[in-house]
Amino acid sequence: MTHSALSRVRPARFSRGAGSIGRFLIALLRSPQSAAGTVIVLFFLALALFGAQIAPYRANDQSNPPRHPPTAAPLERLRRVWDDPGRLFETETYRPGPYPFGTDTLGRDVFSRVILGTSSIFRVAGFGTLIAVVIGTFLGLFAGYQGGLVDEIITRVFDALLAMPALLLALVILGIIRNVETEPGSFQAALADNAVLLVIALVYVPIVARVVRSSTLEVKTRAFVQAAQIRGESWGYILFREIFPSVIPALVVEASLRFSYAIFLVASLGFLGVAARPPSPDWGLMVNENRGGYYQLAPWALEYPAAAIALLVIGVNLMSDGIRRAVQRSE
Amino acid sequence: MTQAQKTRTDERSARLPRRSFLKLSAAGLAASVLGAAGFDLTPQQAAAVLARRQAGTLRVAWGGAPVALDPLNASADTEIAFLNAIYDYLLDTDARSELVPRLATAWDISDDGLTYTLTIADGVTFHDGSELTMDDIVWTFERLRSDGPTADLYADIERVEPGEGRTVVFTLSRPNPDFLYNLTDNHAVILKANAPNIGQEFNGTGPFKLQEYIPDRATLSANREYFAGAPGVETLEFFYFDSVESAVNALRGGQVDAVLRMDNATFLALGGEGAFATQQATTSGHDLVRLRADREPGNDERVRRAFRLATDRQAIFDRLQFGFGAIGRDSPIGPFFARYYSEETPLPGPDPEAARQLLAEAGYPDGLDMTLYVPNLSDRVALAQTLAAQWEAAGIRITIEPQEEAVYYADNGWLEVDLAITPWGHRPVAQQFLDLYLRSDAAWNESHFSDEEVDRLIALAGTTLDEDERTQAYHEIQRIMIERGPIIIPYFFAQFGVMGDYVSGVDVHPFAGRTRFHTATVS
Repeated sequence: MTHSALSRVRPARFSRGAGSIGRFLIALLRSPQSAAGTVIVLFFLALALFGAQIAPYRANDQSNPPRHPPTAAPLERLRRVWDDPGRLFETETYRPGPYPFGTDTLGRDVFSRVILGTSSIFRVAGFGTLIAVVIGTFLGLFAGYQGGLVDEIITRVFDALLAMPALLLALVILGIIRNVETEPGSFQAALADNAVLLVIALVYVPIVARVVRSSTLEVKTRAFVQAAQIRGESWGYILFREIFPSVIPALVVEASLRFSYAIFLVASLGFLGVAARPPSPDWGLMVNENRGGYYQLAPWALEYPAAAIALLVIGVNLMSDGIRRAVQRSE
Repeated sequence: MTQAQKTRTDERSARLPRRSFLKLSAAGLAASVLGAAGFDLTPQQAAAVLARRQAGTLRVAWGGAPVALDPLNASADTEIAFLNAIYDYLLDTDARSELVPRLATAWDISDDGLTYTLTIADGVTFHDGSELTMDDIVWTFERLRSDGPTADLYADIERVEPGEGRTVVFTLSRPNPDFLYNLTDNHAVILKANAPNIGQEFNGTGPFKLQEYIPDRATLSANREYFAGAPGVETLEFFYFDSVESAVNALRGGQVDAVLRMDNATFLALGGEGAFATQQATTSGHDLVRLRADREPGNDERVRRAFRLATDRQAIFDRLQFGFGAIGRDSPIGPFFARYYSEETPLPGPDPEAARQLLAEAGYPDGLDMTLYVPNLSDRVALAQTLAAQWEAAGIRITIEPQEEAVYYADNGWLEVDLAITPWGHRPVAQQFLDLYLRSDAAWNESHFSDEEVDRLIALAGTTLDEDERTQAYHEIQRIMIERGPIIIPYFFAQFGVMGDYVSGVDVHPFAGRTRFHTATVS
């Protein structure tokens, strides 16, 4: 085989360019479930980006009446229209009122807090997943391609980490980090402030790495990889230019799945009180703060953030399901 | 169609859905629906009601279980409630902090305030049938003052000895105007001299005898021979649940008759349900918001005053306490201690602008950035959030640091930090709080406050036998705390009791564990 013949052996790349992304999107939006999931996720993403402009009150504004019931309760509105169908045509029926989701016991607007909480959950879960994907991909590629002792060591370490449930591992790490005294403004303080994000990354690195590694093991025996080896390509070139494109489909699916689990994990950690600090409008924290006796007095202060968590997790799950199918189809 | 036919058809059509409904339920599809719709109560509820109607049994639920039942170490509500039912104290206090006779029916204090002679009731017998002697009382107090957490409390007792007839004589080394209150201490139940296996065997003189103790339940039966009259119920049962929430749910479900401790929100919700008799009592317990006074920024009187000016107590009281308990005036001598409480000195504020100016005068024109440490309990975290929002208007920017209780108190970290909220439980006398956390050499002086005048007044109030002088000292302390103290007490807790409306004769005590059940009746 000549050099030119070798260079013609190319990997089956995950399609690039505007056309293929378009095809991917069409495949994604084809099924109603994944289309709905995508719409939900985009809706929350918009809230995360523009929430500060939309929210009628600041997150910690306590000047409102405490435990005010929701002014936009859908069932209550339906009942009013039922009683008097003429109301169907009154604008009053559709006005959200000052507190669409009610206020909590401290007089904070739940609607504003739910909206303002979106950005932190996207930031922590999103960047946490991103870091996990980047590191996990690198380690997975490396372990899978290198094989031998390196592979053994990396895989066993990850197996050990995977043996522990993600939530438990996260709790232990956060429990330790939170009680370390840090100088304000120092690097350690920055780490501590982003502890949840880093913990999300840490608990998901092994999972991503394992998926990437198994794809790599399969890809590295293919002809185009051997061709590149014979061509004398560098190690980095083979990993990132030859093998990496082939694992992208599996990676995209895994990343979207991780993202949905990350949201749930962030919410759980917030609920357990180890993630966000009060008075942050973290959804999990809001659920925790309004439990017990407060739930009986102002159930809406717990129900709306809980519903937001559920809706977002369902949305991301439907979307990641659609991504998986779209990826399979475009392969 | 004739009228008769029409009626019959109507009947048929009216019967049909019923028939098909019966078929459905026969198929087992809607068995539970039928149960709920057809009868007023589910079988479980009916059984619960039956159990409830077992007259003569009072079932009390607690959100926790006893750990230590040796009177020397007992401290939690559940533990004290258990001891309080089986044993007797010499003296009790009531909801207004007045002394109430129990085993001691009368007391006499010598003019120098050093000798206390207590007359003990006649005909008091232990559950094993033996009679209560003066030696039992002496033995009990010898035990209490020689060891454990009560050794300090009773350090001023020089001698305890039997007096003439049925009297016990306590001789003190220094005058102590609160001595009789010290005798009401939670640990001070009277044991039989040389009782074996204290904490496992319970031979008391109290209104109830222990019948059975299993991990989640204590069953006590009435002591018919009780010297103050036989109890109104045959059986008293304590149910120990994992949380107040479960205890309250058991009350709602009719499995228990009373719950004696809960948070404000739960009490408010239960009260709104209308099916229960509710009671509340203001206690001397409070959340203490304190700023360290021995270093910057709290060592400046103006800074301490700024915090006070920036705090809106009424808003906190309305939103967190729902109006239960009492508004605090920044000293532990609260309305519970009616004899010593004073509202002479007006509280400053709320005035965030004035607070901001004071901070600027004190050298903080840009305000302050501080961390507020707080035990991770929902009510305290809510208080921290409210304070943070109020103080922000005065330029005090707060980072809230909720810590698990074990972490908060570990290595005395709570005594070190600059700004913190510490919950302090109910005490029967104001002097105890002053001695615990306000005197400059107090073991838990968390604010590191050191004020000669306050120290002098605390010492005076703790020793003087002149009631007017004492009242005056307490008033002075309250004035100074408002003027330059390092603490904010936004409110005093309420103690709650919720009972079925068929229970009567139970008066909830400010310390839930000291509530007495021998006068209770169940109709």
